[in-house]
Amino acid sequence: MKDPLSFDHRPDLALGKALREALDPGDAPVFIARVLAHAEHVRVASWDAVLARWARTGVAAALVVALAAGYFVGRATAASPRPTVSDVLIAPPAHPAEVEVVLASLMGNN
Amino acid sequence: MADPQPPQPVARIAQQDEADLVARAVAGERAAFGILVERYAGVARRVARAVLGNADDADDAAQDAMLSALVKLDQYDARRPFGPWLLRIVANAATDRRRRRSVRRVEPLDVGLTAGGPRPDTTAERRALNQRLREALAELPERRRLAVVLFDVEGYSHGEIAAIIGIPEGTVRSEVFHARRRLRVLLADWKEEA
Repeated sequence: MKDPLSFDHRPDLALGKALREALDPGDAPVFIARVLAHAEHVRVASWDAVLARWARTGVAAALVVALAAGYFVGRATAASPRPTVSDVLIAPPAHPAEVEVVLASLMGNN
Repeated sequence: MADPQPPQPVARIAQQDEADLVARAVAGERAAFGILVERYAGVARRVARAVLGNADDADDAAQDAMLSALVKLDQYDARRPFGPWLLRIVANAATDRRRRRSVRRVEPLDVGLTAGGPRPDTTAERRALNQRLREALAELPERRRLAVVLFDVEGYSHGEIAAIIGIPEGTVRSEVFHARRRLRVLLADWKEEA
């Protein structure tokens, strides 16, 4: 075997081959058959199960958004209470000039 | 020793068609999963054995990992190579198994190989070398074992190994360096004795 640097960025082929032989357990077909036999009893996450999981997540997310929106809307309306009918009637007009124009036109018609 | 071929990570050979195989396996096609098992059985068993030492324990861990991967296939990101994803599950399964129970020790050397006697033939020499290598591996820290096996045996890059083991790439380089230094001394001693 050559004496390559230990800090080499390339695989050491001779060492790799020796280790592969040392770790190779053999009987690959037996192992594969064993795994596949057990796999028959494993339930794979099918596409509908995946969709169902996403749907559950979606519903939960929508619920959170709805609750948050409700909370913020509630806070906004509580901060500015709605005026009563009497408040509206006695309140000064927002644009007095417009009222005068209307009155003038009514009186002019008469 | 004959010139060995450079190791070819199975993930690099056919990443495109593996994404397709995974999609078919998720859709319930067991034959597609069978192809993945055939393709990765060897590397999964070797990686598990590097962690556990004992071949039977390693096979149990590799099997657990493959079945676990089957259940989690829908979580696999098809844009990434399949091999490192699977081997991370294998390495975790092997580590968990080693922590959970006292693992059977590495098989002892054959009496005929350790107690002198007639000169062992080539097969027996090979078996003894394999045994010595396994024992030398077992002396290394687990991370170091995994790093050198994934790099020199399986041909994965430092970056891929970093993703599999979950350590920085620089640490992988360092682990490979230290493991090689130890194993090369052992192989050189073996050659001198032979």
